Amino acid sequence: MAHPDTNLADRSGNLVEAYKNYDPRIVFFYFMLGAMLLTLVSGLAYQQLRKVGEYADAERQQTQRRILYPGPRGNIEDREGRVLVGNRARFSVRLLLDALGPEFRREQERIRKNYAAAEDADIPSYTQRMKIARATVVQRYLDRVNAIIGRFEKVKGDDLNKHFERELLLPYTLIDDLEPSEYARLLERLPVNSPAQVYTFSTRHYPYGSAASHTLGYVGATDDVELEDFPGEDLRTFKMKGTMGREGVEKRFDPVLQGEAGGAIFRVDPAGNRINPPIQQVFPKQGKNLRLSLDVDLQLAAEAKMADSGMAGAAAVLDVATGEVLVLASKPDYDLSKFVPRLGTDVAADITARGAWYKRAIQGAYPPGSSFKILTAIAGLRSGYITPDSTVNCPGFFLMGRKFSCHDGHVHGEIGFTRAIEKSCNVYFYKFGNDMGADIIATEGRRFHLDRPTGIDLLDETRRMVIPDEDWKRTTRNQPWVGGDTVQMAIGQGDVLVTPLQMAAFAASVARNEVWTQPTILHDPNRPRQRSEPIGLSPTHYAALLRAMEQVTLTGTARILTEGKMLPKIPGLRIGGKTGTAQKQTERGIINFAWFIGFAPLENPQIAIAVAIEGDTPGEETGGGLYAAPVAHAVFKTWVEKRSRPLNAPPVLFRSE
Amino acid sequence: MRFKRLDQARPFVTLAVIVVAWLLVPVGVKAILRVSFFELTAPVTLAASRVRDLQEFWSLRLHSKDDLIAAGRDLARLNASYELGVQRNTELQAEIARLETLLRLPSFTNYRYEHARVARRDFSGWWQRIVIRKGRNYGIPVGAPVVFTGGVVGRVTEVHAATAVVELISSPNVRLAGVVEGDTRPISFQGGVNPTFAPPTGVVEFVPLDIVASPAAPKRLVTSGFGGVFPPGLMIGTITRASMGGDGLFQSGEVKLDERLGSLAEVTVLVPL
Repeated sequence: MAHPDTNLADRSGNLVEAYKNYDPRIVFFYFMLGAMLLTLVSGLAYQQLRKVGEYADAERQQTQRRILYPGPRGNIEDREGRVLVGNRARFSVRLLLDALGPEFRREQERIRKNYAAAEDADIPSYTQRMKIARATVVQRYLDRVNAIIGRFEKVKGDDLNKHFERELLLPYTLIDDLEPSEYARLLERLPVNSPAQVYTFSTRHYPYGSAASHTLGYVGATDDVELEDFPGEDLRTFKMKGTMGREGVEKRFDPVLQGEAGGAIFRVDPAGNRINPPIQQVFPKQGKNLRLSLDVDLQLAAEAKMADSGMAGAAAVLDVATGEVLVLASKPDYDLSKFVPRLGTDVAADITARGAWYKRAIQGAYPPGSSFKILTAIAGLRSGYITPDSTVNCPGFFLMGRKFSCHDGHVHGEIGFTRAIEKSCNVYFYKFGNDMGADIIATEGRRFHLDRPTGIDLLDETRRMVIPDEDWKRTTRNQPWVGGDTVQMAIGQGDVLVTPLQMAAFAASVARNEVWTQPTILHDPNRPRQRSEPIGLSPTHYAALLRAMEQVTLTGTARILTEGKMLPKIPGLRIGGKTGTAQKQTERGIINFAWFIGFAPLENPQIAIAVAIEGDTPGEETGGGLYAAPVAHAVFKTWVEKRSRPLNAPPVLFRSE
Repeated sequence: MRFKRLDQARPFVTLAVIVVAWLLVPVGVKAILRVSFFELTAPVTLAASRVRDLQEFWSLRLHSKDDLIAAGRDLARLNASYELGVQRNTELQAEIARLETLLRLPSFTNYRYEHARVARRDFSGWWQRIVIRKGRNYGIPVGAPVVFTGGVVGRVTEVHAATAVVELISSPNVRLAGVVEGDTRPISFQGGVNPTFAPPTGVVEFVPLDIVASPAAPKRLVTSGFGGVFPPGLMIGTITRASMGGDGLFQSGEVKLDERLGSLAEVTVLVPL
């Protein structure tokens, strides 16, 4: 039986009719749909147009890393271009701590469970457990490295924690003195994606070890590595440690030596490993090379001779014409190689214990002793109190309120100008010093700039030098000037204090017959001859002074230089000089300072020298002739040998006939 | 009606359940499953490799006798030159042994040579590796160096029952210490990012500044022997470019590798004794 509605035609007609009928309620859904689509399109436009930059930056920050490298420092060379301080690559193995976060947490959990399993009531705090976990995990990596290269290095917990707290983004150095064979092994055996990787960095290299260590100085690490106008400041940046001059020439000329930093932006994979080649790169530039006036041959000769005696002391040698410093040596010194890659506490403690930080050549203020008699002689000759014919009867002492004894208590008898200098007769200078008065000597000292720093282009030159006079004593000691002060000053004792560099400049000035030589540590092949005010001696007086100074080295207190007994002769070299043996009262007793100042060749002076050696045993005679003059001999000898072997001479070709 | 709709969503629900279940599976089980999968598919890989060998065999059979005679003659000449090389090597080895004794130097690691056919090549931008037809059954260890007539192939990274996976030196995951021929300073070599059909390349770092290399005057890079994995003197590639590196201390550069790495058929595994 058919249902009336089962008629297909009827049903179809109803459907068509129903479709044709417009239902206004559907408009609501149109709006709904439209609003939803509009929201989607707006959202899409917002995300794709408005926020595209933000997302691009986020993507960039996630996939790119920026590394800044310090530029290698410039080399420091001696006057002949020999490298005194250079750069050398060093290899280190470092660990990326920020990639080990999950490992640290797992290790911490393991430690906690171990304590819990042992029912230990003294379970460390979370912070302590994390510290233990970090040290354990890092040691585990270090053990792998140790196993590969056959070492037994241990992690320093304090260093690790400090690094973790302050420099987490930078890799932690496990070992920083890898040998080439060691880093080769690590390259092959450490997995490419290991958090421990081999890095390279630049360190200072000192081919001559401790030579001129006080002058050259050293560098220390710095994080201050900046690269201007290099993009990617918003990227995660790794800065390799740079270096900064901490002492000596390295510090004084740091802006010149400092290289320009370089940088690179790398893409990294999801594990943070960089993908070569870099997207962007700026190469670092090496700093400028610095040519010092030092002559390493002379420097080594002076230092070797000073080391023979084992005493503290200093030597300064100047080029007479230009004032360029050829030698600036202080003993004891330190081996600069031991500052690489950093100065260890034991090395620093050793240097401190030996008093080796002290730059005696420019910081040591010593009484000049009899070497000062040259200045007293000049003052006397200029003021007319002394002539080349002036004589004194030396009974071995001079009375000025009390007895002032002559040099080693000698009785020189009737003694003239030349012999007084040759034999270093104190009484001669007591007498004429007292006659002319302290002011004339002090004024002469000030003319030769002995009352102030030389102004050499080095840091830390002392200002403790003293040329005393009545005003000085009243101001500093609140005491009146007495006659004994004058005679003491006349022989370079009492309150007179000078540095070895000052005395070298003084010797150079006397050699040029002028009053001032400005020392400099920088070499300039075109530097003109220095000129300053003439001393003001008549040619006869100046010749008498030179004759006396030569006599000192021939038959006088510095005859060791030429007699050829204890030291070999230096053929053809005429030397003018003066020794000195100053005394100083110390807590341990009276110690001596041995001096020698001089210049050569006498007929055409080219190098001037001052040597000061500190006696180390109270009461022991540390004479200038025996202790200081041999250092000068070593320098003169080397200088003469070098002169006979011209620089850059073509090789001699021997042809067999 | 509601049940019908749920029924239609069954594939998605099943997929979601599988994904969740996989995420919950412990890492160890996943590793075992991965190895098992490799072992299960290994026979297929081996069979396919042997079918290729067979195919190659029959294609060679199609050569004429004249071709075979010519090939045999060439081979005899090659063998003669190799014979000379072997004799010279024996002399050099004796000399090296004498000098090592004289200077009391430790001998380099000795190796057992295990020749193996390549069963499969698997190249992509992220890895470059081959599967060889020898594994634990021939005592091949993980990390063993692999070489061929052109020099270094790579290192064994996985060892299975009858197969082993070798990561090629063109892969960014392989790094070794090389030296420029005639120099002794170690250089870091690492595989580059190589597209699938591109000529294989690598990168070098820590190249000393005095080494100059250019496409016109390339430098041969060989293994240093310092790393303790590869014996010294094996060819890695040629440095075709070296330029100042980012640190200013060394150069970095590009290395062109042997193009035959992409079509290796037979390699030798150096098994340390």
